[in-house]
Amino acid sequence: MSFLQPLLSGILTGGVYALAGIGMSLVFGVMNISNFAHGDLMMLGMYMAYFAFTLLHIDPYLSLVLIIPTAFFFGFMLEKLFINRVIHHPHQNQILLTIGLGLIMSNTALLAFTSDPKILTTTYSSSAFNLPGDISISLPLLLSFLITCVIISILYLFLAKTSTGMALRATSQNREAAQLMGINVAKMSAIAFGIGTALAATAGALIAPTYYIHPLAGHSFLLKAFTICVLGGLGSVVGAGVGGIIIGVVEAMSSTYLSTDWKDVIVFVLFLAVLLLRLEGLFGKKGGR
Amino acid sequence: MKHIALVTLIAATAIALPLFIGENPYIIGILISVLMMAALSSAWNILGGYAGQYSFGHAAYFGAGAYTTLIMLTLFNTLNPVICILVGIVVASLIALMTGSIVFRLRGHYFGLASIAVAEIVRLSVLNFECTGGAQGILLTDISLWGLDLNSKNPFYYGMLLVLAVTLAITAYLRRSKTGYYLQAIREDQDAAASLGINLSFYKNKALLISAALTSVLGSLYGLYIRFIDTSAVLDLRLSIEIILTAIIGGVGTLWGPVVGAILLVPLAEILRSNLLGEALVKAGLVSETSGIGIFLKENLAHAHVLVYGIITVLCILYLPKGILGLYRRKQ
Amino acid sequence: MIQHLLHISHVSKHFGGNVAVSDVSFSVNEKQIFGLIGPNGAGKTTLFNCITGFFPATAGDVIFDNKKINALRPDQVCKLGMVRTWQRVKPLENLTVLENVMVGAFSITNSTGEAEANAMEQLQKVGLTDYVKKSAGSLPIGLKKKLELARVLATHPKMLLLDEICGGLNHTETDLLLDIIRGIRMKGATIVFIEHDMKAVTSICDRIVVLNSGEKLAEGTPEEITSNPDVIAAYLGGGHHA
Ligand SMILES: Nc1ncnc2c1ncn2[C@@H]1O[C@H](COP(=O)(O)OP(=O)(O)O)[C@@H](O)[C@H]1O
Ligand SMILES: [Mg+2]
Repeated sequence: MSFLQPLLSGILTGGVYALAGIGMSLVFGVMNISNFAHGDLMMLGMYMAYFAFTLLHIDPYLSLVLIIPTAFFFGFMLEKLFINRVIHHPHQNQILLTIGLGLIMSNTALLAFTSDPKILTTTYSSSAFNLPGDISISLPLLLSFLITCVIISILYLFLAKTSTGMALRATSQNREAAQLMGINVAKMSAIAFGIGTALAATAGALIAPTYYIHPLAGHSFLLKAFTICVLGGLGSVVGAGVGGIIIGVVEAMSSTYLSTDWKDVIVFVLFLAVLLLRLEGLFGKKGGR
Repeated sequence: MKHIALVTLIAATAIALPLFIGENPYIIGILISVLMMAALSSAWNILGGYAGQYSFGHAAYFGAGAYTTLIMLTLFNTLNPVICILVGIVVASLIALMTGSIVFRLRGHYFGLASIAVAEIVRLSVLNFECTGGAQGILLTDISLWGLDLNSKNPFYYGMLLVLAVTLAITAYLRRSKTGYYLQAIREDQDAAASLGINLSFYKNKALLISAALTSVLGSLYGLYIRFIDTSAVLDLRLSIEIILTAIIGGVGTLWGPVVGAILLVPLAEILRSNLLGEALVKAGLVSETSGIGIFLKENLAHAHVLVYGIITVLCILYLPKGILGLYRRKQ
Repeated sequence: MIQHLLHISHVSKHFGGNVAVSDVSFSVNEKQIFGLIGPNGAGKTTLFNCITGFFPATAGDVIFDNKKINALRPDQVCKLGMVRTWQRVKPLENLTVLENVMVGAFSITNSTGEAEANAMEQLQKVGLTDYVKKSAGSLPIGLKKKLELARVLATHPKMLLLDEICGGLNHTETDLLLDIIRGIRMKGATIVFIEHDMKAVTSICDRIVVLNSGEKLAEGTPEEITSNPDVIAAYLGGGHHA
């Protein structure tokens, strides 16, 4: 098999990972919170796409038009009701709160939808087309990737050109300074969390046609999303985009050339390596907690 | 003085409890779980509560003890389990040293994330290796130890009680010692601690080693007690989180907090898991067994205990971040 | 021969492109009270951080007690007998006042009893005995500054680096603290003293170095410094009163 095959599918999958990573990175940047419920928010996106398809007969890609605003609102409310109350707490409390919220989401899903995995089969779920050189590209993967690109571009323009986007970036750079400049940082936090949630749910919806849909499906994506953020530099949107692609490619490569069983291990080892190499210089600079 | 009397009373009650309960294996089983979670959470508390280093990966040490013990006993079934427990401590300590050398360079968010990553690497490796039984896990058929009747649960009750007592004794001793003060100083402010002559990585690693060794002993005991382990039972992230949650609810960084947390949480989980609540509702005539709600309760309440854990976590962080004992201390 | 306890030789510290300390050299003799002054952002605290091992100097050497200590960690520096206080105080908030000072005391003993005795002695020195059982986080700022001082004294240091220990205190409190510091020197310790308040500095210091924008602007006795036109310009420019 050609070396290009895993590279290409890695890049395509990585695009969706990037989407999840960007959502987490944005939340981290603006709020300085590690969101451990991110994977479960992805899982909710998967179920939303599934039920939009089975109940309302809406194509999963089309259903994003419904999913994105719903998820944004959901995330916005989560922030208003829960997250903002721990924004000045120690990190570990923030982590535990989001873990708790994640457990509530995944186990409510378990009660509501049972633990049987669901499969979303569209007419084109297994279609692929062939490129010269014995390379085949799965159609849903390609579609997901293209939609991801569109969404990332819109997000980029939003952050760069609109006043809300600029306020978000200012808050991300320096929360205190932004507050002094008159930016409503509390509102920015809620918006960031809303966008983060919308991106997670979108990523979930985009992979729904190619994955098992399951209440605990988000967990394996959680650490992947963290890896992506750390790889790109926590808080950096562009970095998370690149990080996502890298993780996608590393996974595809290690599945092809090593073994599928070890691909997650390799991702985590990469994660630790990045943490250590990138952050070495930070040690000792910041305050204890 | 009052304190000593109270501790003696608690110890005497704990020792005598199985005599009153007689041969009810169900109740003894729950008590063993309470003792184990109390001890696990107390061991975690040395690192998380006193040194302020929230490890989200303590399942790795529990799993190290359980797997080491059961693998050794499957290979050599005449081996004295105590030797397996000791080897388990060595394995857990090695993992701890490796973890420590990586994660203690990091602070804040990164420390928590890295501790999870290390534990996940351990879990996935165990899942992928042959000698660990992979996804099937390990089943142990027969063990013997000094002629004790290991088919009775009582030896394990006392085993867990002993480890809990040792853990609490170590914690109580540490609190009043140089190491204990140093750990608390590290928790409060790492820069201030370093400027006062505290070697941060040495003391963090010391706390981690003590904590990991105790956790591994509990893993070994659990393996001997249940005699069947797989990664989802002993290496899962959820176990690490339950350990932390128990400490949080009781009171992080207090001697008795983890014990209080375990006494509250474990029976609650058991009630939900074994559907006692559903049965009680049916018995009380509140819901009919054959109604939709009745069937739903029967089939799903077992899952609900994790949901309840989630709700308790959220409420606890929002309203009771210092735990039940923290509340009591504030009132003083 | 004059005994230099601390010798700073061509020390620089860069943060990316920002030069916080630039080629600074000076020496501190034993039993001196040595002033380090300069407007806000001059690089005083950064220099303390470099000396005590919190971040490595970009260039230059730090010699303490005839040992090169550039590459040592903060705890190793403390063990050699040099300890610093923090401009933004760092109390161990959830520990009591006594326990805070005991943490310092443990650097010279393993015994809890000895640490406690030593801590009580230091608390007596700075006048905090009424607050022994209070949590450190609950103290007002003036008492937190005293706690910082007691805590480093408990390590029985050869040299103390005090970073704006009088900042935020009123006149009586400042005078009290200055008396305590004179007492510490009488017992044989050497002190490097960062301070804004020119009056405090000139009244207590034997020798003074002035930093401005990371560079050494002047060095001399208090009289020389107060009459130095460059210093007056920098200080008045910086908006402070002599
Ligand atoms: N950790 C740091 N990272 C980046 N810049 C720093 C850091 N610490 C200090 N600086 C910069 O170094 C310069 C000197 O600061 P500082 O030493 O605190 O001055 P002083 O104590 O004399 O008021 C300032 O410009 C400050 O912004
Ligand atoms: Mg300063």
